[in-house]
Amino acid sequence: MSPVLADQDRLQQLEMLRSSAAGFAARESPPSRARALRAKPPGFDRRFWNAMATQGWTGLLAPESLGGYGQGLAEMAEVAAALAAQAAPEPVTPVIVFAGRLLQACAANEIAQRLLTELAEGRTLPAVAWQEDPTGAASFARGGSLAEPATVCVRNGDGWCLRGGKRHVRPGAAADGYIVSATSADGAVLVWLPAHNAGLTKTSERLADGTFAARLVFDDAAVPTSHLLATGVAAHGALASAYDETLVLTSVELLGVSRRMLAMTLDYLRTRKQFGKAIGSFQSLQHRAVDLLIQQELSAAVLTQALTEIDRGCSGVERALLAARVKARCSDAALTIAREAVQLHGAIGVTDEYDLGLYLQRALVLSAWLGNSGIQRRRFAALSRASHAPAGAAA
Amino acid sequence: MSTDWNALDTEVFRATVREFFEKNYPPELRYPKRRLRWAEIRDWTLTLSRQGWLAPSWPKRYGGMGLAPEKLIAFIEEQERHGVGRAPDMGITMVGPLLIQHGSEAQRAHYLPKILACEHIWCQGYSEPGSGSDLASLRTSAVVDGEDFVVNGQKTWTTLAQDATHIFLLVRTDPAVKKQEGISFLLADMTTPGISVRPIRNIAGHEDFCEVFLENVRVPRANLVGELNKGWTIAKALLGFERIFLGSPKQSQYALARLREAGETLGLFDDAVFVDRYTQLALDVADLGTLYARFVEQVKRGETLGPDVSMLKIFATETYSRLANLLVETAGASGGTPGDIELDSGHIDVLTTFYNARPATIYGGSNEVQRNILATSVLQLPA
Repeated sequence: MSPVLADQDRLQQLEMLRSSAAGFAARESPPSRARALRAKPPGFDRRFWNAMATQGWTGLLAPESLGGYGQGLAEMAEVAAALAAQAAPEPVTPVIVFAGRLLQACAANEIAQRLLTELAEGRTLPAVAWQEDPTGAASFARGGSLAEPATVCVRNGDGWCLRGGKRHVRPGAAADGYIVSATSADGAVLVWLPAHNAGLTKTSERLADGTFAARLVFDDAAVPTSHLLATGVAAHGALASAYDETLVLTSVELLGVSRRMLAMTLDYLRTRKQFGKAIGSFQSLQHRAVDLLIQQELSAAVLTQALTEIDRGCSGVERALLAARVKARCSDAALTIAREAVQLHGAIGVTDEYDLGLYLQRALVLSAWLGNSGIQRRRFAALSRASHAPAGAAA
Repeated sequence: MSTDWNALDTEVFRATVREFFEKNYPPELRYPKRRLRWAEIRDWTLTLSRQGWLAPSWPKRYGGMGLAPEKLIAFIEEQERHGVGRAPDMGITMVGPLLIQHGSEAQRAHYLPKILACEHIWCQGYSEPGSGSDLASLRTSAVVDGEDFVVNGQKTWTTLAQDATHIFLLVRTDPAVKKQEGISFLLADMTTPGISVRPIRNIAGHEDFCEVFLENVRVPRANLVGELNKGWTIAKALLGFERIFLGSPKQSQYALARLREAGETLGLFDDAVFVDRYTQLALDVADLGTLYARFVEQVKRGETLGPDVSMLKIFATETYSRLANLLVETAGASGGTPGDIELDSGHIDVLTTFYNARPATIYGGSNEVQRNILATSVLQLPA
């Protein structure tokens, strides 16, 4: 996936990881498994999660000092792509990447350390709760940075309490607890809220692909001081960074889903016969398929660039611009490929029994999650105007 | 002449090239809005010739710079960055490589020095009125008569034929076999009796290309390049990695900068609709740059380009076309005005981009032909 990553040894290791991850996913997670888990809470399989932990995947990103493998985003991308290709419903990016990276950034805090260790072992599934409005548009400030949450964290005797609510929390009510972003008198805070905390109400929402998100309401939920994972600039920076990295890894999943849908479509075009010949020999269908290939390859090229540059280290604004760019491209590409795949299949494409639907539904969920292409474009525009660096306008 | 350019660090090489362009290229010819004529670009071409930089891709022993792909890409990118106009360069990009690979020793000794000295200006006689996308169906015939071929037929879309001293032709030498197997490569002097040129005025009002009529034109048999009836194979082999430049993001980056200027001058960055459409195009241009870089990396590693490079040409030219559309729309009621449109502060030009975008999706293999290639060669769809 990443020819731009210079180090030959690492490229070889990535290659090995790719084939072992693809082999494992194909063997242990056929699309029929995903189909059987749909719409039945929690929408995924904790035993499969344990099997992923045995593979070392839940601890891939976590530092070795906390029981992980200290690998980079490129390695995580191989695993995420392999699972996405099988439509596996496990919350890989919400938990391992989003919550995991956030906890890693807060690792000065003892609770964060413990949670990350447990996450790496596959024992605990924390979720990140940060968005508050139905479309997610209010999650960003005018300049494109993350907005101040309306959820507040206020002093309460020796400790604190949370007031407010969150939406779009994946993997939903089945998470073992929530890392909640809030506003306090000291600025931004990240708070650990166990799933059974008093004052927390969870409502499950079924998503198009049969997985679940949660709406959370905090009704003066009491929080001990030890659960304040980070405060002020540190909290804001940790969330911004983890968010961008999760956008990139979600884009990896979107590309994995896109590749699968295009491959299914090409197989169909080669074998389906009408008017006495394979429909893939018709020029109008060939040209539509080529346009999907172009979108797929644009997604792949931008993803490789994002993974390489973030891995190498770049400024917060550069990272945010790249992440917004890649999520916009991969979301649009996946939805275009999904719609066209259905059309090119004809009526079989709209049946529930045909696997294409599993991928289309996943594409809908992933492209909406964390901000769809329209929201990412707006964010990109705001960030580039704020940083006076409009993309592409070189001459 | 003896500088080993490839031994230089690429950034040092870039800086050297850039400095030369900045010092010597006529400022009034930067970013020309149309194809420059020989009379306009002649002095600059002679400057490059004296510098020994006219043929960056040719081997040194033939008077070129001998640049490896990475350095050649840097050279061309620096030209694009500085807005250096394109000279009539068919002698450099096509005839030189053709003769170096397939020509006779006598042909090389005769033609190559004259190309380097700008004595010979070449044009390309490929397309015909009946043979565009289906080039192999060409009908211009060459029949052996004594020591000559006698050529009859017509070429068209011949870029700057009115400025050329010579033409390289694909001609039919065997009408009885499969169409690709009866084609040969000939070199002809434009002053040969029987050759006449008629410029074609395009929709932008410029005469960038011509029709070339060939009536009983006697071309010496010594001007056959390679073997008889092997012209098609040779022509295909000439399509080297330079194909990536058809998908260069430079044109789109330039148009995006014009769109940004127009948007700023007209105060459109307060309009959410314009901002979203501008951003969508800015992201297309940025992503095009990334896709282009991926193919450039492939060339730098010394790998040959596959048929998948066609996707770059499609996305580059169609992005450019979308930029032109929004530019014209941005001009509103002035969208039908060619040239500079006067505004309260400054001016914008929208139709130049619109006109330039039209042939871009047609030449170098129309985007429809490129899609055919991708469908069968890359996607393995049945023919």
